Amino acid sequence: MFVALITGLATGALYAAAALTYNVMFSTSKVLSVTTGHISMLGGIFGAWFISTLGWPIPVALVGAMGIGAVFGLLTDFIAIRRVLARSDEHLWLLSTLALATMVQQAAGLWWGTEPKPFPRLIPQDFSAGLGDQKYWLPIVIAILLAMALELFYRRTLYGKLFVAMSEDAFAARARGIPTGRIRSMSYVIAGAMGGLAGFAAGQLTFAYFALGLTLTLNGFIALAVGGLGSNAGALVGGAALGILSAVATYFVGGEYQQTISVGLLMVVLLVKPAGLFGSQSVRPV
Amino acid sequence: MQKLTLARVARLFVLSLAFAATAASAQSTIRIGWLSSLTGPLSSAAIAENQGVQFAVDEINAAGGVNGRKLELVTRDTSGEPTKAVNLAKQLAFVDKVDFIIGPVNSGESLATVPIVAKAGIPNLIIGTIDELVDAQKFPLAFRAINTNKQWIEAANDYALNVLKKKKIAVIGDTSGYGTAASKVAQDLLQKAGVTPVYVALVDPNKTDLTDELNKAKAAGAEVIMPWSAATGLLARLFNTRGDMGWDVPIVGHPAMMAPTVRPLLNKPDYWKNAFAAGYLSTTYDAKGKLPPRTQALMDKIRSKLGKGEIDFMFWWIALGYDTVKLVEHAVKTAGSTDAAAIGKVFENTKEFPGVYATYTWSKENRNGYPDHAIVVNIAGSFKDGSFQAAPR
Repeated sequence: MFVALITGLATGALYAAAALTYNVMFSTSKVLSVTTGHISMLGGIFGAWFISTLGWPIPVALVGAMGIGAVFGLLTDFIAIRRVLARSDEHLWLLSTLALATMVQQAAGLWWGTEPKPFPRLIPQDFSAGLGDQKYWLPIVIAILLAMALELFYRRTLYGKLFVAMSEDAFAARARGIPTGRIRSMSYVIAGAMGGLAGFAAGQLTFAYFALGLTLTLNGFIALAVGGLGSNAGALVGGAALGILSAVATYFVGGEYQQTISVGLLMVVLLVKPAGLFGSQSVRPV
Repeated sequence: MQKLTLARVARLFVLSLAFAATAASAQSTIRIGWLSSLTGPLSSAAIAENQGVQFAVDEINAAGGVNGRKLELVTRDTSGEPTKAVNLAKQLAFVDKVDFIIGPVNSGESLATVPIVAKAGIPNLIIGTIDELVDAQKFPLAFRAINTNKQWIEAANDYALNVLKKKKIAVIGDTSGYGTAASKVAQDLLQKAGVTPVYVALVDPNKTDLTDELNKAKAAGAEVIMPWSAATGLLARLFNTRGDMGWDVPIVGHPAMMAPTVRPLLNKPDYWKNAFAAGYLSTTYDAKGKLPPRTQALMDKIRSKLGKGEIDFMFWWIALGYDTVKLVEHAVKTAGSTDAAAIGKVFENTKEFPGVYATYTWSKENRNGYPDHAIVVNIAGSFKDGSFQAAPR
């Protein structure tokens, strides 16, 4: 049972990292991009490729994986978000980001192959460490660090405050001279680097696998909805809750009900507390 | 007026010649529809099968075709998606008007396409393993060239019960349609043999850790772990968990356990030991390290097309793809035409057709062409140059 908790927590940390990535992109664009999980997928397969095939040192490969994520984040904004938001108020970004995510997954499958491939050991450690193995705690540590870094960024930096301003009211921010287009692009670059880092850190847990993206997109969204849209603490708690609940459900009930229970959790939260555990419903005075 | 008439006659003559040429060309080719999941999560087998299919088509055409008619391969990539497979099966049947359909590769896709192809009255060579895909009454022109899932499971059960002499078995399937169905069949067949599994679990194919499942199996007293899943990632995690636990319990199950793509996913190479999987006589080395002559002959012919060095994927996929086209050749040669009813009769009466992957026999009632005796059990970690060593008996 303790094993289920730890493995659930590690998987949940990856979902939490995806939820944090959603948050950063959502803050400036009000878009929930379907490409969120695919950023981490790219971080995983490029990280494995940089280290195992190109022989790059691990720190360089880490920067490379984050760079790939950042570039993909920027491309997401450029290809699937910018024009769609400029031309329509409808939620057409759902389709444009889904299309981009599908294209990226297909391309990754053609290039990388459709079978999972190994992700190298990042820290020298024997495989007999059990629950102390790095594949469990690396994603947990990275998710917590990402949440803390984001809080510092929002509270202590000028750009962070600009993100918050755009999140509150993008029109007012633009009226006050904030270059909202550039800030949005920056948020996608940061989100991309975060997703790449999360995928890299969890590579040993997930293997480098081209079809990982959609799973992370879905479960990251559930974690976000449970924790509360826009809340970094909520993303952590939502991810951990989802991971642990899935693991415990599998332990007691069986794997065939795992997905049902995950989506069931989402339904319950949406019905009981639609804003999520840490979310707040904004009321616009009229 | 006379000039005009002559011009018209000339034009009609030229047009009719062109039409006749087109008709003759259409008549002269035998169109084979090939539903293959060349991209998508299950593409590895399909890509290898495609090499066998393409090689056989080229070989037959280079030798002059079948009864003077060339083969024309119409390949459609289903991406492993049943909905896409249905649309492409309809396209092959009603737009491309093919004479045969091979595939699709995966059972889930085949469940969706087989009734459509049957309704269109086109002979269908089935290469999915689940039992429901063939039925002499409902799908009279569907003939299975691959083994059934039951044949794999019976071979694995026999090895666990009668060779390893173990009765306490843990069955672990994945939550995909295939894994769930295979796990159920495995349990039923064990029950028939008088053995109730001590532990049964279904796990998500992407589950990152199997420690709980193996701890429970161990606590239940399992002496053999029997996985039924084609997900190599899950199977590698099973090996890794068993190895990290230091539990040397035998693993006996699905052929995907032997896939060379499992090897790099293992924490240590030794973790692949004491594991056995259902496989094929055609790709099993004998005591002298030789392959069956027909397998060796195809390997020698095709090796130069597969790149330099040793073959790094399971050769049986190529052999199966190759055989499906050779079966088309056999059917058209024997029937003397591509008439669907005549082709159906030929397959129904086919006895001991010598393929590479197997020797095929069908009958009026039996649409499963793969013989039981050609299923063997291999050592999981013995992959070498596309083939395997037999498990000790």
